[in-house]
Amino acid sequence: MRVYLSSPWIPAEWVRAHQLEPRGLWFAENLRCGIPSISAGVCAWAEGVVRFAGAQPDSAVVFTTACDQLRRGFDAATAHGGSGAFLFNLPATQTSAARQIYRAELERLGRFLLELGGRTPTPEVLRHEMLQADEARERLREAAPNASARSLAEAAARLFEQGVFSAPSAFIPRDCTPLALLGGPLSAPDWDLFDTIEAAGGRVVLNAMENGERSLCPKLRNADCPQSAAHTHAVPSPIPSPILMGEGQGEGIDSDGRGEGQGEVRVPNFGFRVATPRTPEAAVGFDERVAATDALAAGYFENITDVFQRPNTRLHAWLRPRLVSRGARGIVLRLFTGCDLWRAEAESLREAFGLPVLPLETADGAGISAHDVNRLEAFVETLQ
Amino acid sequence: MNALPGKLNLSEWDDRYEQLRAGGLSEPAYGGPLRRHVIRERDFRLEQLRFDNSPAALRLWNFLLTENERLHQARARGCQIVGTMKDLGTVPVMAYSLPGVRAFYPDGAWWTPCLMECSDRLLQQAEAMGIDASFCPVRAMLPAFLNGEHFPRPDLLVCSTGAVCDDFSAIAQRLEHLGQPVLWWEMPRRRQPVAGEISCGLPGQLVAPEIQVACVRSELQRVGQALGELARRNLDDVLLAEGIRAANRVRRLLQTLRTTVYTAPAAPLPALEMLVVEMLAIHFCSDREEALAVLEGLLAEAQSRVRQGRFVIEPEAARIFWVNPVADLRAMNLLEDFGGRICGSDFMFAHALDLIPEDLPPLEALARTALADPMVGPTSDRAARIIRECQAGRAEAVVISRIPGASHCAREGEIICGLVREKMGIPAIELEIPPVCDALLPALGSRLQALMETVRARRTR
Repeated sequence: MRVYLSSPWIPAEWVRAHQLEPRGLWFAENLRCGIPSISAGVCAWAEGVVRFAGAQPDSAVVFTTACDQLRRGFDAATAHGGSGAFLFNLPATQTSAARQIYRAELERLGRFLLELGGRTPTPEVLRHEMLQADEARERLREAAPNASARSLAEAAARLFEQGVFSAPSAFIPRDCTPLALLGGPLSAPDWDLFDTIEAAGGRVVLNAMENGERSLCPKLRNADCPQSAAHTHAVPSPIPSPILMGEGQGEGIDSDGRGEGQGEVRVPNFGFRVATPRTPEAAVGFDERVAATDALAAGYFENITDVFQRPNTRLHAWLRPRLVSRGARGIVLRLFTGCDLWRAEAESLREAFGLPVLPLETADGAGISAHDVNRLEAFVETLQ
Repeated sequence: MNALPGKLNLSEWDDRYEQLRAGGLSEPAYGGPLRRHVIRERDFRLEQLRFDNSPAALRLWNFLLTENERLHQARARGCQIVGTMKDLGTVPVMAYSLPGVRAFYPDGAWWTPCLMECSDRLLQQAEAMGIDASFCPVRAMLPAFLNGEHFPRPDLLVCSTGAVCDDFSAIAQRLEHLGQPVLWWEMPRRRQPVAGEISCGLPGQLVAPEIQVACVRSELQRVGQALGELARRNLDDVLLAEGIRAANRVRRLLQTLRTTVYTAPAAPLPALEMLVVEMLAIHFCSDREEALAVLEGLLAEAQSRVRQGRFVIEPEAARIFWVNPVADLRAMNLLEDFGGRICGSDFMFAHALDLIPEDLPPLEALARTALADPMVGPTSDRAARIIRECQAGRAEAVVISRIPGASHCAREGEIICGLVREKMGIPAIELEIPPVCDALLPALGSRLQALMETVRARRTR
């Protein structure tokens, strides 16, 4: 079954490890970011995701809380039922409480994946997926500075969906103005933007879109060494997932803790229980599973680099050295109509990096208007 | 001196004020004629509003309109000023638990363009800072912060983030980029516990998994430490418990007032005053003790009017449940002009009206209360409460006022309207109300008129 993720900050390898097929919503062929509700202030991207979720009975869609529009889009998508949708709480801060929320959400997503027909990942499978994705990301990161922008976007898409590295074609040097492309998700129909920028005399030297280079997390700590991870930062899972408990366990319990039974451990200060394995078979690999999941959660949580974070200094810290090393002379800010988070960032980007910023707004995430082509050409011309 | 209940415009209030003064009206230090707010503060919008004619309402308005002045005075007396943003009701309870600390919501500046009829040019200044008209009018907060001409710059600025409005979050981030440090704290999106999770009851008949309560509790602990450092005093459980009891005194009074007004056979107080008075719940309008006194005065007035069967709105007025605060205060007058009255409300902070549990450790109680925020959970939860309160108030229709540019308004109205129609079978409409709605009066009037006609037609079926 296909599981469409609306954010690269949800590990695709977690879905693959459950024997399901992760897909990036931004690559979905039939994602149509619509405009009927635009006048009512609905973000075109969120609207597209809601419609997509409603039209895919055989697939699942994972929304996130990264923005209010997607969060409430989930409410709209599930207003009349809809078991194929899941809302992942992506924390905005980087506090220890936020870290726990992220870890717990990964477990909760795991339960959802099992309900969809996925299989409980063994530690070996999970570790394999993590290492493979890790290695692929590393290779793509290394290739990025010299890659053709469009080819890099395509390679990132393949990596996300298949977890493997495919080499992007190299950029052919010529006289052009180096630009950074920044913003939220860049859907596949919008990849023509790379060609349009090149036709205007520019070149995207930094693809800092949500599903671009930003999503290529650095190597996950302890991904290949689960035992040590367990000792260094393993936090007991707040949700007694089937991964930890064995399937078929866990009824709701109230805040007095009623419902606890033998073989369960209450974790002080966290207010949740963790089941210890009940059978010798289940106990095999228990620590390794916990450790591998911890490593995955920590690796992603520590590398989320996005505009919705508060403060979003990590985004600026990520951009600064890359803008300098790639020699970007301007920033093209690609944003969806109705996206407050990126729109508000334009002025801060100008101030922070001393670079001109060209906001290019799209209502449907597909292509660029003639008016905006004009603006883009003028932008590049002024930077030459 | 005692007049029949009614509504007065500003000029009529000038005369009324003189009569009251001549009759020996006793006022607090911030008292005075309403007119002075137009002259001194350029609150021109007051000239377009109609106010309740009671001394209790006068005190309420003067309390509201002197908030910035009182905050400056408090600072001059050595008080620490805390700006608290977005959570609407929780952090101020903590701040007021500490002696010498006052908390206010810079978010409140969203009414400044309305009150000053945009003569302050805050919205234009916000646009020059990169926050244009596609954002909620709360963007007025940004230049107000930086120019210091309204509220004092706080000694500590706290903002909840996570499951909050995008526009607000973006504006607050812009503020930080412009040099104002912000203490961010995480508010997860409330959800139902799943099988196996410990479930915690929250105020407002809600539940959340313990891990979310623990998250908020630990975040509030961080906020509490910062407040304690500011006040140079540990914000311990004893202080917090007393702060919660004091907040609950305000909430109890407000609950009684709402019940008195919303369930009376006709409205003993106007919708506009009810909107303003409900706002006292979130941060006590920067003075907790005085907020109690203001509430007591209004409650006494409302109860007296109900006893005497004297009302400001006719009994046949359509009973309307109102959702969301209005960017232009005049909209509340309009509702009554077209034959409606308020019989219930959700001004986005229902959790600040509920009592904070006093039988739990204080931080736990505050965490549960914060998580009960209608804006951090599923829209269906908010709709469920609205429906319950519509039933209690025998609402005949629901009006959802959209706030221009507010990200939550993009979706929630449609969902709430749908659920209200489905569960209650009463009409529900959305109205978008800008900070100064004069240009839209014909359109707004038509929609409200049509709604009232629908309500009346349904009565005769």
